[in-house]
Amino acid sequence: MRPATRRFVAFWLIVPALLGAVFASALDPRALPFTGHEQLSAVFLLDGQAYFGHLEDVPWSGTITLRDVYYFEDASKVASELPIALVKRGGELHQPVDVIRIRRDKVLVVERVTLDSAVGQAIAAQRSLDRVAK
Amino acid sequence: MNDAMVRIPRRTLLIALGALAAVLLVFALVATGVVARAADASTVASPAVLKTQQSAAERDVERAYEQAVAQVKKVRALNLAISAAQADTIAAKALNDLKLLRHSGLVSLGTVLGVTGADAESGAAATEQRFDQTPLTAQPAASPVLLAPRLYAVVARMSELATQLSDRATTELTAPAATPAPTTAPSPSRTPTPSASPSARP
Repeated sequence: MRPATRRFVAFWLIVPALLGAVFASALDPRALPFTGHEQLSAVFLLDGQAYFGHLEDVPWSGTITLRDVYYFEDASKVASELPIALVKRGGELHQPVDVIRIRRDKVLVVERVTLDSAVGQAIAAQRSLDRVAK
Repeated sequence: MNDAMVRIPRRTLLIALGALAAVLLVFALVATGVVARAADASTVASPAVLKTQQSAAERDVERAYEQAVAQVKKVRALNLAISAAQADTIAAKALNDLKLLRHSGLVSLGTVLGVTGADAESGAAATEQRFDQTPLTAQPAASPVLLAPRLYAVVARMSELATQLSDRATTELTAPAATPAPTTAPSPSRTPTPSASPSARP
């Protein structure tokens, strides 16, 4: 590669990428890709429903995408310690694939879920049990 | 007449096209979520978290069992229309079924957690023994745990079946006393005879 080409690539590709990474890490270091930190998100809809999973939010799209989706279910009639239960999407009658797209105008709040939270630990336990089952 | 011309060196054009292709590739990777999926990790639970989940699920199974047993015993303690022997038989069968159900639920929990065969059976028996010695009502309240969906499915099924068993026992225990079925064959009318002892029937 010629020196001029190297300068061009460094100036227009590498430097902006590094600047973007540094800026992003200044906001939230765990938000950097390929750092090994899982990013679980909670999406609360206007109708009160909440979904948890891996969020893909592309600004130019009219929808947001959630993968590995979980949601709350009423468990007040079950002899459990909590009146709600976490359910993994995919076990419904129509057995949907584990991806949902949500219209952006129906979203009320998007939040990051900490991995030490009750939801984060239940999802982590589910993954461990899924591995045991395989 | 001379047309104005811009001469772009071939090398610059190639670099510009390469940069454009790179930008389009990044755009496509981001838009399809490939980058997000490749970059995002999936956390699994530590053994301590799994132990907490297991304990909570066992408590839930035991709670469903104890609630159903309490209901059967409560109804059995009432003055029932059926005979005491019948009531004892129904209650004993229900309690035995509930015990079997609890055992089955605990074995299922073990299976979900990766314990199979004789180990699951012995683990369930040990847990039953522990709860028989110290029921949940005699234990200090533990902090609630949000169960993993696989464990919750077992607990929910156990709870549903325990409720069904206790409800069926309640229905049978509170049923009216059996009366002899009326015969359709004609019979000669009996002549009333005086009785020395008062009739038991009103």
